[in-house]
Amino acid sequence: MEKEVATVEKGALCCSWNYCGQRLAVGFVDGSISIHDSLDDSSSSCSSKWKAHASSIKNIVWLPPEFGDAIACISADASLSLWEEVEDDTQPLKWKMCKTFESSNAIVLDLQFGVYSTSLKMVAAYSDGHVKVYELLDPLELNKWQLQAEFQNVIDSVSRFGKPSCANVSIAWNPRRGESQQSSFVLGFNSDLPQFNSSKIWEFEEAHQRWLPVAELALPGDKGDRVHAVAWAPNIGRPYEVIAVATCKGIAIWHVGLNPESDGRLSKEKVALLSGHDGEVWQLEWDMSGMTLASTGADGMVRLWQCNLNGVWHEQAALECNGMQQ
Amino acid sequence: MPGLASDPGDSLVPFPPDVRDPVVYPVRHGVNAPIFRVYVSWTRGNLLQVACLRPPEADPAGGEEDEVSDEEIGGKIVEVKLGAGDGEISEAQRRRIAYGSVPAFALLQSRKNSLAAMSRMSASSIRTEWWEHVLDYSHHISDLLGNPMLPSSTVIEDPETVMQPHEEPTRLKAAWQLMEIFYVDKLSLTWLPERLVDWLADYDSLLTRTETTIHSKLAGLQKRLVNLQVVEDDPEYWEVMSLALAVGWLDTVVKLLRLHGSYQLDQLGSRETENGLVEAVAVLVSTMPRMRPHLPTGRLGQCYKTKPEFIKAWEKWRGHISKLDSSAFWVQCSHRQTREGLRNLLQIMLGKVSNLTSATCHWMELFISHFLYIRPFTMGLEGFHSLSQKCMQLRPSSSSSGLMCLLIGILGENPEVVLAECSKTFGPWMVVHAMELLTADNGHADILLHEERYNLGDISIEELHRLVYAQVLSSHPLTWQIAPTYLASCPKQGLGLLEILLYKQPVQHYQMILKNLEICRLYELENISSSIMKIAGTYHWKHGRKGSGVYWLQQARDEVRLNKIAQQLFEYIGKSISDDSFKQWEGLIELLGSQVGTAGGLEFLHKYRDFKRSLQQVQDGSSVDAARQTMESLIQLMKNPSTPQRFWLPLLHDSVKLLHWKAQPLLTVSETNLLLNKLQELSMAKLCPDFCEPNLPPEALSSVRLALATNLGRAILEEC
Repeated sequence: MEKEVATVEKGALCCSWNYCGQRLAVGFVDGSISIHDSLDDSSSSCSSKWKAHASSIKNIVWLPPEFGDAIACISADASLSLWEEVEDDTQPLKWKMCKTFESSNAIVLDLQFGVYSTSLKMVAAYSDGHVKVYELLDPLELNKWQLQAEFQNVIDSVSRFGKPSCANVSIAWNPRRGESQQSSFVLGFNSDLPQFNSSKIWEFEEAHQRWLPVAELALPGDKGDRVHAVAWAPNIGRPYEVIAVATCKGIAIWHVGLNPESDGRLSKEKVALLSGHDGEVWQLEWDMSGMTLASTGADGMVRLWQCNLNGVWHEQAALECNGMQQ
Repeated sequence: MPGLASDPGDSLVPFPPDVRDPVVYPVRHGVNAPIFRVYVSWTRGNLLQVACLRPPEADPAGGEEDEVSDEEIGGKIVEVKLGAGDGEISEAQRRRIAYGSVPAFALLQSRKNSLAAMSRMSASSIRTEWWEHVLDYSHHISDLLGNPMLPSSTVIEDPETVMQPHEEPTRLKAAWQLMEIFYVDKLSLTWLPERLVDWLADYDSLLTRTETTIHSKLAGLQKRLVNLQVVEDDPEYWEVMSLALAVGWLDTVVKLLRLHGSYQLDQLGSRETENGLVEAVAVLVSTMPRMRPHLPTGRLGQCYKTKPEFIKAWEKWRGHISKLDSSAFWVQCSHRQTREGLRNLLQIMLGKVSNLTSATCHWMELFISHFLYIRPFTMGLEGFHSLSQKCMQLRPSSSSSGLMCLLIGILGENPEVVLAECSKTFGPWMVVHAMELLTADNGHADILLHEERYNLGDISIEELHRLVYAQVLSSHPLTWQIAPTYLASCPKQGLGLLEILLYKQPVQHYQMILKNLEICRLYELENISSSIMKIAGTYHWKHGRKGSGVYWLQQARDEVRLNKIAQQLFEYIGKSISDDSFKQWEGLIELLGSQVGTAGGLEFLHKYRDFKRSLQQVQDGSSVDAARQTMESLIQLMKNPSTPQRFWLPLLHDSVKLLHWKAQPLLTVSETNLLLNKLQELSMAKLCPDFCEPNLPPEALSSVRLALATNLGRAILEEC
């Protein structure tokens, strides 16, 4: 059932696959990054490794393939850099840094890329609770970004809040790629200020050129729950969106309406709360049809969740990854 | 919990009320504990990549015990294939079946579509024909699953070979045949029991993995047969014969009877009566009337096509048996085993329940024997279910195989169970292809499978299973290209999944891109084909193959990127026309050929190249025609909306010398006015914050303005 495809060197901290799953970027504790390319016989080899940052790499995110073979990486020293693989007449194939985003007073916790019609947007969330949306100005030059918006993950933007201290954040763009679709993403914090935590869907309002919260994915009693992971399921034709949100209470599956109601909000319904991981959920990943959700967690398990014909969500299988005990 | 709150009362498939524990598979990744972090990613279809990372700092407790090689490992990446089969069928065979079933499936779908189109005209005649199409399809698939071995072609048959060697039967084919018998083949409904007899003859060995069957008993006897001196003294000889007779394997029974010692030449004299009895039973067995149109060669019995004829023959045959049973010859038969064994065979043929029950191992065998000897006149499905329940009570089975659960579902007329068993035991290929059999002539199943359900995202169960199967197909690089056929048969979500599937294909190989684009064209997925071309274009552009990069971006009609490339090229060549790099970018544009059409940026570059060329000619010589042509190019460029504004001033600045052409003004009044307007527009644009200042001397603008003004004056005088 399983097949080993690659071995990574000591000191690996995080990893991320590209759009077709053939390339894997691994971030190391010493600030270097390695790229593994899968070969035809489904084994893979390390095609390059370089030192990207002075301190350890915390997270790597691939850019959508329309923008080349490029990654964004977040290092522990609060810097965020973009790298792309290029080759031309004057230089051989290599990974080149094209941009760094400096932030003086807050650390980038997570970022995600979304493509809408032709433009690339990057949403980055910071340890001070701020969310910034950047837009790429030139689709062939990854060094020209413009800050499009900056806001906080709260519904009520008028009230003043204290300064939260955020440990973690999870962001997921709506994966739908239609021309007519509005850009939207869901974002939830793991912070000490309850108002910031609950996952909210932000949608770009073309008319006023601003981002608005259109749904809050938490029941009244759960709004302060720290969010560990979110994932927006691909929608291949469902009349509603499906979003998974992991909090300390478990993994909630939400159905969200496609079109706003009269008050501008999206209808939402929590259809399941799945418990299984003992402790924190690390990652949520939907498969290509949006029918199976894979989750990983601090219990060292990969759990696979599906909905049966009656609409009841259940754990279909689990993969035990705790390793050989010696 | 909200997730568990559904009412079991309206369950489609009877799920146990408490949620069953999920199956836990250990992943053998070979990395020593502890694991610091696990990452997952879905790649193709159902393939899940799992990365298991060790803590980055060396573990002081376990570190010393580790082997040296382990010290260097930071983690492993494993690929887990979900929903892999039970191993009865090899991967290669599975792929062969997958490929082989595509044409039959596609043909059936297209027939279905054309019939649906016709149905608006004449509804009644369609149902009657439809099952014949499905039967065609079923035969095609059945052939794929393995062919039955032809009867032995040797001239001299070994009399001691009582079992025909068969190819290893597969559960998959057995299940397929069962569904064909019950759901599709309407012609065989009149002789259904006999079809089941045939089915059991082929697949008896698959009924159970652990318990005895008639097949296993027969195989046991076959092995011992060569070493047996006096077969009729062996109780197993008689037992196996009764077993084979009970399920209608008449040829086996007759063959075994003829091995009886009384047939031997030296025995004939002393055992005449005994031999007569054996032969009489053999004749009775081989003349058993059977309610079926024909028998395969080598099988015994007499076929009757109509019920009245069959009933007549049956009663006559039974009469012979009773007569023999009560004859006086038995007293003269001195060999006890023969006497008892033969009379047991007669009791079986007379349909005595106790004899039948002891002459079968599995409930399915008992079930078949009932049809053969107790209720020979059964037509259609009447009483099948209750009889099967009764047989199961008489011959309880400790283990239930998927095949038997499927049969129980079929007999219970429960399509939900049938579908669930197909899925559980035989996997997604079976479900998708067997649904066609299930709905061939079954209104209940038809509604069940085609009703759209909100829970499933407004799709039907049929579509759901097709999507699942397509996802399985897309897990392997050799099978993903047949997934579109199945996705195309999914009316609601098929193309959505196909788009994602195509988007996730790698673009490094030209042939692969062409294949993917062909699929896009076939299913009219313009958006995704343009995405694929954009991805390919960017990939090649960034990887030093600028020509093919531009080619794909042109194919994608990606104006935005092409314009940016045009700008890059422009910047790259610098401002001076005498620059060496002129040749380089000219070569690139040349490479693009004349196909450069609508894409704005490149159209501009082409014009710009023409302009630069003629400008160079003018500087080399000084022909008026060349100069006028250059100015025409300039006007064309300035008029063209695709010429970026930031190039206006450099263009005009390059032409200052021509504006001061000594012999005559090269521009008319209206042309000069056009250029002046552009210059005015440029001055306004300069006030905008995002205006990009060209790299020109500061007096460029004023020198152009002066040249244009002078030219205007001269042109007015000229035109007066």
